[in-house]
Amino acid sequence: MHHTDHQRSAGAVPRNPEHRNPRHTDTFIESESVVSTASPVKTTAVAAQGVWKAYGSGEAQVVALRDVSVEFASGAFTAIMGPSGSGKSTLMHCLAGLDTTDRGTVIIGDSTVTGLGDKALTKLRRDKIGFIFQQFNLLPTLTAEENITLPAAIAGTKADPDWVKRIIHTLDLTDRLSHKPTELSGGQQQRVACARALATRPDVVFADEPTGNLDTRSGTEVLNFLRTSVDDFGQTIVMVTHDPTAAAYADRVVFLADGQIVEDMADPTADSVIDKMKHFEELVAAAQEEAA
Amino acid sequence: MLRATLKGMASRKARLVLTSLAIVLGTMFVAAAMVLTSTMDKSLSGLVADAYEGVDGVVTPTSADAQFEEGFGSASNLIPAEALDTITAVDGVDAADGAVEGQINAIGPNGKLVGTFAPTIGFNWESNANQEFYGFQEGTEPAADDEIAVSTKFLADSGFDIGDRVTVYSYTADRAEFTIVGVFNLPGDRDSMAGETMIAFTTPAAQQLMTKGEDVYSAVYLYGDFSTDEVDQALGAGEYKVQTGQEASDELAQGLSVISSVMGYIFLGFGLIAVFVSVFLIINTFTIIVAQRQRELAVLRAMGAGRDQVVRSVLAEALIVGTIASILGLGLGLLLGWGLSLAVGEFMFSGLAVQFTVPATTLWALVVGIGVTILSAVVPAVRASRVPPVAAMREAANPPKPLRTITIAGAVVTLVGTALIALGLSDNLGGEELLGILSGVGIAFVGITLLTPIISKPLVSFLGLLMSWSFTGKLGKLNAGRNPRRTAITASALMIAVALITGIATIVSSLKATTAEALELNLDSDLIVSGLQTGANIPTFASERIDELKALDGVESVGDVYVDFMGAEVDGEGEILSSSQDLDATLKVFGGTVSEGSVTDLAADSVVIDEGTAEKNDLALGDTVEVTFSDGTTTPLRITAILDGYDLTDGWWVSPEQIEHFAIPKPMQAYIAVTDGADLLAVQADVEDVLADEPEVGVTNNAEFVEQQTSGLDTLVNAVQILLALAIIIAIIGVVNTLVLSVLERTRELGLLRAVGMTRGQAWRMITVESIIICLFGAVLGIGVGIGLGWTVQQALESEGLTNFALPWGLIVTYLLVSVVVGLLAALAPAARAAKLNVLGAIAYE
Repeated sequence: MHHTDHQRSAGAVPRNPEHRNPRHTDTFIESESVVSTASPVKTTAVAAQGVWKAYGSGEAQVVALRDVSVEFASGAFTAIMGPSGSGKSTLMHCLAGLDTTDRGTVIIGDSTVTGLGDKALTKLRRDKIGFIFQQFNLLPTLTAEENITLPAAIAGTKADPDWVKRIIHTLDLTDRLSHKPTELSGGQQQRVACARALATRPDVVFADEPTGNLDTRSGTEVLNFLRTSVDDFGQTIVMVTHDPTAAAYADRVVFLADGQIVEDMADPTADSVIDKMKHFEELVAAAQEEAA
Repeated sequence: MLRATLKGMASRKARLVLTSLAIVLGTMFVAAAMVLTSTMDKSLSGLVADAYEGVDGVVTPTSADAQFEEGFGSASNLIPAEALDTITAVDGVDAADGAVEGQINAIGPNGKLVGTFAPTIGFNWESNANQEFYGFQEGTEPAADDEIAVSTKFLADSGFDIGDRVTVYSYTADRAEFTIVGVFNLPGDRDSMAGETMIAFTTPAAQQLMTKGEDVYSAVYLYGDFSTDEVDQALGAGEYKVQTGQEASDELAQGLSVISSVMGYIFLGFGLIAVFVSVFLIINTFTIIVAQRQRELAVLRAMGAGRDQVVRSVLAEALIVGTIASILGLGLGLLLGWGLSLAVGEFMFSGLAVQFTVPATTLWALVVGIGVTILSAVVPAVRASRVPPVAAMREAANPPKPLRTITIAGAVVTLVGTALIALGLSDNLGGEELLGILSGVGIAFVGITLLTPIISKPLVSFLGLLMSWSFTGKLGKLNAGRNPRRTAITASALMIAVALITGIATIVSSLKATTAEALELNLDSDLIVSGLQTGANIPTFASERIDELKALDGVESVGDVYVDFMGAEVDGEGEILSSSQDLDATLKVFGGTVSEGSVTDLAADSVVIDEGTAEKNDLALGDTVEVTFSDGTTTPLRITAILDGYDLTDGWWVSPEQIEHFAIPKPMQAYIAVTDGADLLAVQADVEDVLADEPEVGVTNNAEFVEQQTSGLDTLVNAVQILLALAIIIAIIGVVNTLVLSVLERTRELGLLRAVGMTRGQAWRMITVESIIICLFGAVLGIGVGIGLGWTVQQALESEGLTNFALPWGLIVTYLLVSVVVGLLAALAPAARAAKLNVLGAIAYE
C-alpha cells in the first residue's frame, strides 16, 4: 500500500492515525508543499496499455491519445495535467469506461475494461468506480443523503451505514443531509458529490476538474478531503485538473501533451508544477516555431 | 427577428412536429366532419332528387300524423278513391294514379320477421310513379292479388326465391299468403335505401294490408300540365297537400339531409373536443419552448429587442406551425371525410354511390387550427416577453413558479361553478335551472383544470407510492412531481377525454340501474313477452295468446298491455291510452294499487286514471272526459277508478272493449307471474311454444329482459368511446411531448445516473414510471370529474325519472388499466431516447 502523510495548517479534517505512515514527516501547509514517497509494494488500481483514441475521420481526424501507457497505483492520488486539447479528459474517460479506446487495453483492478458491453461497463462503473464532476451533477429531486447513497440505491443494495456515516462526518455534511441540492452552496454540493463517489468504496475515484466551479475556500476543502481519503481510507484517486495548486495535493502528476505522456512527476508542489508547465509552453512554442 | 424565429424553429424540429400532430388531428376531424356532412347531404338528396321525375304533381294527406298513421294502417285522413275522379276532372290533368304505402310484416322461412333491424315496406305496384321509380329485375310484375314482387334486398335477407310463398300481415290485416313472381331494385341498382326490405302488391292487396281494405290512397300522383292551386281548390282548399313533383322531391331530400347533418354534427363535436384537448398540448409546448429559450430571449432583449418583438417572435412561430399543421390537417381531413363518406354510404345506406363534395365551410377547419394555435401561444408569448435582459448573464435557473395565483383562481372558478350547479339542482334559478346547471358544469370544469397543478402534488405522490417499490420507480415518481404545472397540463388533456367518457358512462349506468330497478324490484313478474322494435312498427302478438298463456301450468297470472299512442286524444289533448284484458291482474303484476273506485270488469264507457293525472287535469271520480281513439272514434268516458300515483301504471286506462279502436289492437307486452315453486325454465319453454307462431315477440325472463332493454345503451357508450379515442390519442401525444422535453432537460442528470451505474433498463423504467404516473393522474382526475359530471346530470334528471345513481365500475377499472398501458406506450420513444443517451455526451450537455 502506498501511503502518504501530510500535515496541514487547516486541520478541519480529522485524521485517523492508523493510516498514517510514520516514515513521512514532511509538512504540508495549505497547498505549498506536498511530499510523497512511493512505498516499495505497489498494486495497480488502473492501467492503460498502448491506448489510442481518435475522433472523426480522414482529414478532420483528431488523434486524442497516441499510444498512452500508464499505471495508477492503489491508494495513490494522481493528477493528470496538460494544456487544453492535450487529451487529459479523453484519457480519464477511457480509463473510467465512459469512452471506448481504438486500440490498447484499459484495466481496472483485475477487470479488463476494453471490450466490455454496455451492461458490464455499467456494472463496473456502479461497483468499482466513483465519479466527481466539475458541475457537481447532483439529482435535484433527491436530498443530500439520498444523493450520497444513490449508486447503492441504483444497484439495489445498501451502502455500509457506518462507512457512509464516517464520510459524512469527515465532510462535515451531517447538518445538511435532508437538504435538496438547490438549498446547498456550491462547496457543499461538491462535498455531497465527493461523499457519493466514496460511499460504495470504489476501487478508484475519477475526479474531473473537481474544483473548477468552486471558490478557493470551497476548492481547498474538497482537495483536503480527497487528500484525507487517500491518506486515511487508502482510496485511489485520479484527478484531471489544469490548476497547479490542485495538482500539488496529489502524490504524482502525469503531464499530457498532444495525446502523449510527456512527464511523470512524483511529489509535486505547486511551484514545481508551474515550472514544468512553463517549460512545456516553451517546448510547444519551439515546436510550433519549428513547424512554421 | 423573423430570421431568428425561423432558425430557432429549425433547431426545435422534433418538438414542433409533435405539437403540429395535435393540430393536424384536430383540424383533420373538423374538416372531415364538414366534408362528410356535405357529401352525404348531396348523395342522399341525389338519391331522391329524381324520386318524382316525370310526376307533375303529388297529393298527400295534410296532417303530419297521417304519415305515421299510414304505417299503422289507419284509413282516416287518407285520400279516398273518389278524389281521383275530382282530380282528373281538373283542367290539364291527364292522369292521376293512387299509391298505397306502409309498413308490413313478412314472415321468413325461420318463422321470424324478415329484416331484423329495418322495417319491411309494402306498396302498390300499379302506381305509374312507382313503376317509373323502381327498376324491374326479373320475373313478372304482380298481376293477381296473391302475387307480389320483392326487392333484391328482401330475397337476400329472407332467403326466399321467385316462386316461393310468403306470409305477410300488418297490424290491421290478418296473415295472407303471397307468391313471389318478380324482383325489383331501387334506382341506381341499389337493393335498399337504408337496409329496409320492400314488397310490391296489386292495389287491392296493398289496400287490404295497409288501409283496412278501404279504397283509399296514401298519395296520388298527377300527370299533365295543370296548376296545383286548381287541384287544391277542386279538392276543397287545404284539405290535402298538393305539390308539384319538384316540390315533393325537395321535401324528401330535406328530410334526408337532417340525417346527414346529425351525423356531421356528431363528428364535428368530437373534432372540436379534439381541438380543445390540443389547446393544452400547444400551451404546454410553447411554455416549455419559451422556458428553454430563456437565455436566447434574454440575449435578444439585451441586444435591444422590445417586448413586443419577443411576443411577436413567439406568435410568429405559432402562426407558422399552426398554418402548416392546419393545411396538412385540412388535406388529411378531406381524405378522412372521403373515406368516412364511402364507409357511411356502404354500411349505413347499403352501398349508396357517394358524390364527394367539398363545401367552402371546410376552410373553417383552417381558421380553427390556426386560431387555436395562436391563441394557445399568447400566454407563453407574454411570459416570454417578461424575461429580463439580465437573465442572459445569469445561470438559467427556472425555479417552479409558485402555484398560489393559479390555485386561488381555480378555487374561485370551481366555487362559482359548483354554486351554480347547487342552485340549479335545488331549483333556485327561477326557471333557468338547466342552463344554470350546464354552465355550472362548464365553469367547474375550467376551475378544476386550473386546480390540477395543486391537486397533482398530493395525488402524484400518492400514485407514486404504488410505483416506489424500486429505486428507479422512486426517481420516476420524483420526476413526475417535479414540475406540477407541466404534469398537470399534460394530464389535463387526458383528464378531459376520460371525464367525458366517464360522465357519459356514469349517466348510462345510472339509466341502466334505474331501468333495472324499475323492472326488477317493482315488476312482480317472472317472464316477459315482448319483441325488439325495428323501424316504426311496434312488435305485437295475437290477443288469443293471453288466454293460452293463462291456461298454462305454473302460470299464476298474466298482465297484458295494449297501447294507443298515435293520434289518441282526451278532451282534445294528445294522450297515450292503455288498456288491459284484465286490469286487476296487470296492476298486480306491475305493483300498482287502486286508490278510489274499482277496476274489476271495467264497463265500456269507463276510464281509470292515476292521482297525478287526475290532479293535473282537475278531474275526480265520476267526471266524464271526451276520448278520441286513433281510428277517429270519439266517445265520452266516465272515470270509475283512480290509481295511486306510480310510474309504471300512471296514465289513462280504458276498457278492453275499446281496444278495437286502437291503431294497434294487439297486445304489445305480457307479464307472466309464475306460481311459487314452479320450474321457471320449464314454464318459459311452455310459453315459447305458445308463441311459436308469433314472429314478432319472444319470451325472456326478468334478467334477460333487463339486458334486452338496456343493450342499446351499451352500444351508445361504445360509440362514444371510439369517437373519444381521438382526444385520447392527442392526450398521448401530449404525454410523449412532455416526456421527450423532460428527457432533454435532464440530459445531464441521466448522464450522471448512467455514469454512477444506472443500467439502460433502469433508465427506461424510470421514464416509464414517470409516464404512467402522469397518465394515471389524468385518468384518476378524469374519472373523478366524470363521476361528478354524471352525478350532476343524474341529479338534474332525477325528477324526469333518472332516480338511481350507479357507477360504471367495470369501465372505471378498464380506464385505469388503459391509462397504465397508455403510459407504457407514451414512454416508449422518450425512454428509448433516455436509455440510448451517450453517457459522456450527456454529462457534458449544457
